[in-house]
Amino acid sequence: MSRVIVAAEGNPLRDRGTLLKRYAFYAVVLCAVTAMGVHLIVFGTDWGRMGTFADVFGIIMNLAPSLAFMPKIIGPLLQTLLMAFWGTLLAVLLSIPVFYLAASNITPYMMLTYPLGRGLIVVSRSTHEIIFALIYVAALGLGPLPGILALASRSVGFMAKTTAEAIENIDRGPIEAIEATGAGPIKRFLFGVVPQVLPVFIGNAIFQLDINIRRAAILGMVGAGGIGLYFAEQMKIYEYGNASACVLGVVLLVIIGEFVSNRVRTKLISG
Amino acid sequence: MGDGITAVRQAYLHDRRVGRFVKFAALLSLFAFGFWSIDVLQIPIDRVLGMFGRVGNMVWQRLLPPDLVYATSASVIYAVLETIEMSLLGSFIGTLITLPLAWFAAWNLTPDRVFLYPMARLIIVVSRSLPSLMAAMLLVAVFGFGPFAGMLALVVGTIGFAGKLMAEQAETINMGPVDAVRATGAGKLKVFIYGIFPQLKPSWYGIVIYNWDARLRSSTILGFVGAGGIGLHLRERISVLEYHGAMGIIVIIIVLVVASEAMSHFLRKRYY
Amino acid sequence: MPLLEIRALKKSYATGEVALKGVDLSVSAQEIVAILGLSGSGKSTLLRCVNRLVEPDSGSVTLDGLEITALNKRQLRRARQSMGMIFQEFNLVDRLTVLENVLSGTLGSVSLWRAFSRAFPRENLDRALGLCERVGILDHIKKRADQLSGGQRQRVGIARALMQNPKILLVDEPTSSLDPKIGAEVMELMLEVAHETHVAMLFSVHDVRLATEYSNRIVGLQGGSKIFDERTETVKPEAIDLIYGMNKRAARG
Repeated sequence: MSRVIVAAEGNPLRDRGTLLKRYAFYAVVLCAVTAMGVHLIVFGTDWGRMGTFADVFGIIMNLAPSLAFMPKIIGPLLQTLLMAFWGTLLAVLLSIPVFYLAASNITPYMMLTYPLGRGLIVVSRSTHEIIFALIYVAALGLGPLPGILALASRSVGFMAKTTAEAIENIDRGPIEAIEATGAGPIKRFLFGVVPQVLPVFIGNAIFQLDINIRRAAILGMVGAGGIGLYFAEQMKIYEYGNASACVLGVVLLVIIGEFVSNRVRTKLISG
Repeated sequence: MGDGITAVRQAYLHDRRVGRFVKFAALLSLFAFGFWSIDVLQIPIDRVLGMFGRVGNMVWQRLLPPDLVYATSASVIYAVLETIEMSLLGSFIGTLITLPLAWFAAWNLTPDRVFLYPMARLIIVVSRSLPSLMAAMLLVAVFGFGPFAGMLALVVGTIGFAGKLMAEQAETINMGPVDAVRATGAGKLKVFIYGIFPQLKPSWYGIVIYNWDARLRSSTILGFVGAGGIGLHLRERISVLEYHGAMGIIVIIIVLVVASEAMSHFLRKRYY
Repeated sequence: MPLLEIRALKKSYATGEVALKGVDLSVSAQEIVAILGLSGSGKSTLLRCVNRLVEPDSGSVTLDGLEITALNKRQLRRARQSMGMIFQEFNLVDRLTVLENVLSGTLGSVSLWRAFSRAFPRENLDRALGLCERVGILDHIKKRADQLSGGQRQRVGIARALMQNPKILLVDEPTSSLDPKIGAEVMELMLEVAHETHVAMLFSVHDVRLATEYSNRIVGLQGGSKIFDERTETVKPEAIDLIYGMNKRAARG
């Protein structure tokens, strides 16, 4: 039956032009993928260093997490969690002036402060936490402090962006009513804007806390504290079993964090 | 004043007192937690106080202005292209692997709830929780330096990111048409292709594009552990204390990420 | 001297729409005045120009001898405390409790710190509870405003407006978002409390029956101009026909 339809001329489902275009698209994708694959996989890899199949297999076998190392990573994991918490809290505080500038309906000078706020958001959101961490480590030395600052710098953009959007979509009615009672701008913000935006804000903060656990886990790889440092050290001395124990710890921590964050946010929305 | 009011008033004032006490206690515990954290993290207080000056100095004196001559040199441009290639290929291969995984990991569609469903869920959850930089470092250990390891890390990232979103979307579809196709006696793959995939096409395409955008972001730093791309140059510049050059790379990365976000936004709006 | 005196009030919006074309209106102490008109006739704009939620282009508003239109921002905020406003969509802050919504009527007078910490003075609290009892929402004060029914929400709105100790109530289509039975109850309640507290009331409606039933005087508004202004018992059907055309039944429905 389908053969009959294909034969029928001018059938909208099997228009020749559309088909041709689609096949051309597939062909281009295929060529591009092949070219990139050859470039990256064949030429981009140091095959000599990789050694034989047996070598690779041996390394993979070595990757089994060594359970003996697990107790040693509890401290660093706790550090990671603390970094995520304080980084997120700092981001929450720093986002307040930024969303104030970046919400088009409350920004004080549309021509000046709005682009400034939006620019800060773009820089914060487009720069990887590792890059922030490098800058802070270079300025302040090794340790969790630059890590916390890096997490805060990375999260502040998301917090400010989502909050600014929530403020832009706010219900004007209650604010009008609060204004009619003779309240000034700050009271209007406290009673008209804050109650409407706060649930979104808190939900996003918890979401960022969850993501920041994941981010905090790698910051140690550039010297900014937490489990990443231990992971990188073990990798450097070829203790792959210990390194993957670190990874296992991170995976468990992240899974627990995500689970808790989801539960809290669902409760927040429904309650 | 009636008795009703007196009772309500007493209850309110009591609640207010309790509320104030709870707030005060919470604030106090937060401070205690803060001091404890400073102790555990061994944060040097003197450095916190001088922090703004040092970071400001770092940014204004050593990072700015960016060395854009270096940032547009041939080797950097090549690395940028390699980064984009890695993100594209990693997303592509990752998506091919994710398609069946998302199908298996959607409770309403999964062909097998006893074995495939939990396996697919586990793979997605673990891939999602695995930081890509750690995955890249492990993969470098196995496959050596170069973009191949980075690309594989991006495949893992795609499985975790797109897998979760795609499975979530799949769980929201209308089962009517699916049952209709099933009623014709079609096999499981045919049911997927004719009954399920058409419903998911728009949202899944959106997720694929969004995933590419996210992978490009993470591919910019994979070079840090030798897994290919622009990140290697950034690490090099910083290790030789060439901060203006490093800032040039950061500018390039920001431009790249903003452009990809704009493009992803455009594509998702234009087609879906 | 009338309590509220509006003279030659004009307003056109940035869109070019002319909302008010020079309206004169006065309200005496304790008088209940209805502004009758179709939607788009300028009723809401007129009410909002009185407390300058909408800034009039020209003309003057005087309340109890104070020229509202000549005040600066700080003075205006003070003056707004003596004008309670009730809205069509209630305009409660959904996520605050009923009591907090009622207490927000005193925001103009409490200090910023008290507003921030929600520590409203005891005498305000007592008055708020009294008003809640008066309008029949005392049992709900702990609930969030969005958990109440429409009629209850408007009662909260009334309590909030009265919380300001106003000289006049500005009421914008108070029953349009309610079903007719509840709407009538809310109108009755507003009238009662206005009498009890000796407050004048200026309310806008598009329903002729509500206007004739509940007001001392009716002002007809059409296309931003006043077309009649008479005591309710002397308003002639022809005057109302001017506003609604001949199809009165549609206007009532």
